[in-house]
Amino acid sequence: MNYALFLGCNIPIRIPQYATALTAVFRKFAIELVEEADFNCCGYPARNIDEQAYLLPSVRNLAIAERSGRDIVAVCNCCFASLRKAAQVMAERPEQLRACNTVLAGEGLHYSGKATIRHYLSLLYEEVGAEQIRKALTMVYDDLQIALLYGCHLLRPRRLTGFDDAFVPKIGDELVQLTGATSLDWGGRLECCGAALAGINDPLANTLLSEKISMARAAGAHYITPICAYCYLQLDTAQQKLPASPDHAANAFLPVLLYPQLLGLCLGIDTESLGIAQNSTINADDLEALRQRLIVPVQKPARKAKMADKTDKTNKIKKARETAASA
Amino acid sequence: MDLTLPLTLSLIVFAVGLFYRLAAWFGQGLPPVDSSLTVGRRLLAALRTIPATLFSSRLLRALRSLLVDALLQKRILDQGISRWLAHTLIVVGFLCLLLFHALDGQITESLFPDYQSTLNPYLFLRNLFGVLVLAGIGLAVVRRIRLRTRRLRSNSSDWAALAFLAAIILSGMVLEGSRIRSYSVYQEMVEEYAAFANDEDELALEAFWVAENGLSSANFPQLPAADQVTRGQEVNEGTCTECHVSNRYAFASMALAGVATPARAILGDSGAVNFFWYLHILLCFAFLAWLPFAKMFHVIAAPLNLLIRGAGGENPSLEPANLLNRQMIGLSACTHCGACSVACSSSMFFASFQNEFILPSEKVQYLQKFAAGKEKDPAVWKRMQQGLYVCTSCDRCTTICPSGINLREIFVNSRYQLLADGPPESALLSHFSFPLALAQVRIGDHLQALKKVTELFRQRFQRLADLSGPIQLDGAESTGIANHSYLGCYSCARCSNICPVVRSYEHPVEALGMLPHQIIFSLGIGKTELAMGAKMLWSCSTCYLCQENCPNQVELCDIFYTLKNSALIEAGAQT
Repeated sequence: MNYALFLGCNIPIRIPQYATALTAVFRKFAIELVEEADFNCCGYPARNIDEQAYLLPSVRNLAIAERSGRDIVAVCNCCFASLRKAAQVMAERPEQLRACNTVLAGEGLHYSGKATIRHYLSLLYEEVGAEQIRKALTMVYDDLQIALLYGCHLLRPRRLTGFDDAFVPKIGDELVQLTGATSLDWGGRLECCGAALAGINDPLANTLLSEKISMARAAGAHYITPICAYCYLQLDTAQQKLPASPDHAANAFLPVLLYPQLLGLCLGIDTESLGIAQNSTINADDLEALRQRLIVPVQKPARKAKMADKTDKTNKIKKARETAASA
Repeated sequence: MDLTLPLTLSLIVFAVGLFYRLAAWFGQGLPPVDSSLTVGRRLLAALRTIPATLFSSRLLRALRSLLVDALLQKRILDQGISRWLAHTLIVVGFLCLLLFHALDGQITESLFPDYQSTLNPYLFLRNLFGVLVLAGIGLAVVRRIRLRTRRLRSNSSDWAALAFLAAIILSGMVLEGSRIRSYSVYQEMVEEYAAFANDEDELALEAFWVAENGLSSANFPQLPAADQVTRGQEVNEGTCTECHVSNRYAFASMALAGVATPARAILGDSGAVNFFWYLHILLCFAFLAWLPFAKMFHVIAAPLNLLIRGAGGENPSLEPANLLNRQMIGLSACTHCGACSVACSSSMFFASFQNEFILPSEKVQYLQKFAAGKEKDPAVWKRMQQGLYVCTSCDRCTTICPSGINLREIFVNSRYQLLADGPPESALLSHFSFPLALAQVRIGDHLQALKKVTELFRQRFQRLADLSGPIQLDGAESTGIANHSYLGCYSCARCSNICPVVRSYEHPVEALGMLPHQIIFSLGIGKTELAMGAKMLWSCSTCYLCQENCPNQVELCDIFYTLKNSALIEAGAQT
């Protein structure tokens, strides 16, 4: 299988390790994420200014995906929501679609409403599946606490994103737990990193960011794992420039680990291919400590699964018998 | 004919142009230019880098960049084989013609003592190189036309450069063609080199040249007889071949010889040869004179820029004088090839805002004027300001630029300068600001520019706190909001209670003007303008918690976006 990987503008230049780690992880499951050089910005940055300017770039992206016949797999939550929003609006308002297509026709592109947009977490969870991931694990973590940060635009508005249960999401947590790590239940898990306010209202953006960091620390997180590219940049880059707080000493940052990096280590992918050292909040000691936590997986979960399987079968047989008896 | 005068003239113009360029490199800059950085200091700073590079490991990197990027043009190859082929054909063909044909007296003769322009391989190669250049130009023209739909902009200078090159090559070919045809040129050769046993041999040689070498002779209005040609061939072998191979090797000129016919009819045989000779030479001199003034200057500036880049000139902590020097050299290295604009991630914003300056290639062209202090038109200024700000900071342009120009740095610098002096820029209130906030460059300037836009809101909209007395409801006002979900609000204030922004302030109403439920409520009573003026809109983190938790499905966050869009127009920040 192959998919059109939508990286947006931040990842290629500011978080290249996100793309390489993700591609390496999916390759383990024979899924090829193809970078489409023609994709442009998702439009999100213009949303505050003008709705049409916000939608048109993503319609072009959808048209490109349609031309290549591949489903789009988005990484950044804001790209994901923008692509979904464009697809939704185009489906609802044919006259707006026509206007967009008029612009696109200039370069021989056309969008007819056929593109599919998924987030990589869904792809991993639904297409690869927990079972297959578990089988591929060569190592798991022992005593590792992860504060997963879903990010807003993956979950909300739920009718647009269609991702998991927007109020009680489990996909991300289950994926984290597959690695043996604990996915902490912490206050900021479903909340805002402040990125949307950076450069517009910096003090407020910083307040929201430090709130997340303090909450994750308080919950005992060893690492914070953001899904969205904006959240990552807030945590990995902006965290270092936060005004000093009584909460933590200067230069002692809450280290940031991306999900494909977390999983990749368990799949036997080397730290270099996962670009972990490129996360600026992670130092050599953190990396060593992370490696130390890796242990050979105990076969217990597999046996449990088998047992569950058996119980399932027994139940089925029971049920069949009952049905037969009642008949 | 004495060429001293036209050559001297073109060299003088070239030198003046070069001086003008050097003056820009070391005298101009994207403002604000620190006035203590005089031309002298900047020149000294630039000169100091030479020994510093020569005696360090950076030398190797600089040389590598010169070889790989400037000579082999790897950065162009990265954009596709056809583009690389076009450029390489032009460069290789033109350089070979310049060195071995134009400068044959100086270079070719000293390298190859038996050099004769009428012998092979020289005769053949001259034609071959010419054809290579023409093929490259053809590919370049096709690219410029084909990529027009991909927002590749071609200005008159781009076409002029291609046309100029083509004219030089074609005029040379037609010149050679007219010489091939010319009876007077033939006669000169015969007088100088040939000795005939009898008149019959003399005529036979002429017959052979008419049949085989493209000569046009009044003695042979028809093609000569075969036996006469055969005899002429023998004479040719005895007399001519030592210094002159068959003109068939001059394949391009032979093919184009017919083009000279009208000129021959008007100016006569030797007149036509002279005409094309002047045309060819003067075109070459004109090209030399024109070189520093337009995009062709990249043949000097681009390799230099790549060299600087290779030598570690990308270092942002360079001393200020060299920072300016580097930016100015970078600007002059732009070939207006448009690769940046084709790759630009903001290309669709260009389509929406209809502003050429959103395309990086157009920005660079303009910024050269800007650095020279030539642009004063406020309307252009405003569009440029938007062009600089509507940028996702994806750095594709900087990564892709074949001349290795550090576009990012140039754009960031000029962006804030324009913002400082220009009108309020609405794009500041967008997520285009995010990468800038992240990089934390020129924080003070950013805040100043931000203040200008927010000031517009303060002037345009009445705030809730300013109202004295009850709000008048006339019931006639339409909210203008297409999303009618706000009608479902029953003021439970769940939105404001769950909002992470509201909870970030000790006195939220004071800080935010209105809370989310108040904004929705004011829409409900038809007071859209009151809602538009609320600071809350620009403090919304767009986390959608309010919208998702509203018990009556009011789509607050979506409505806030609409209000923000309209407020920018209302306040006059966005047109």
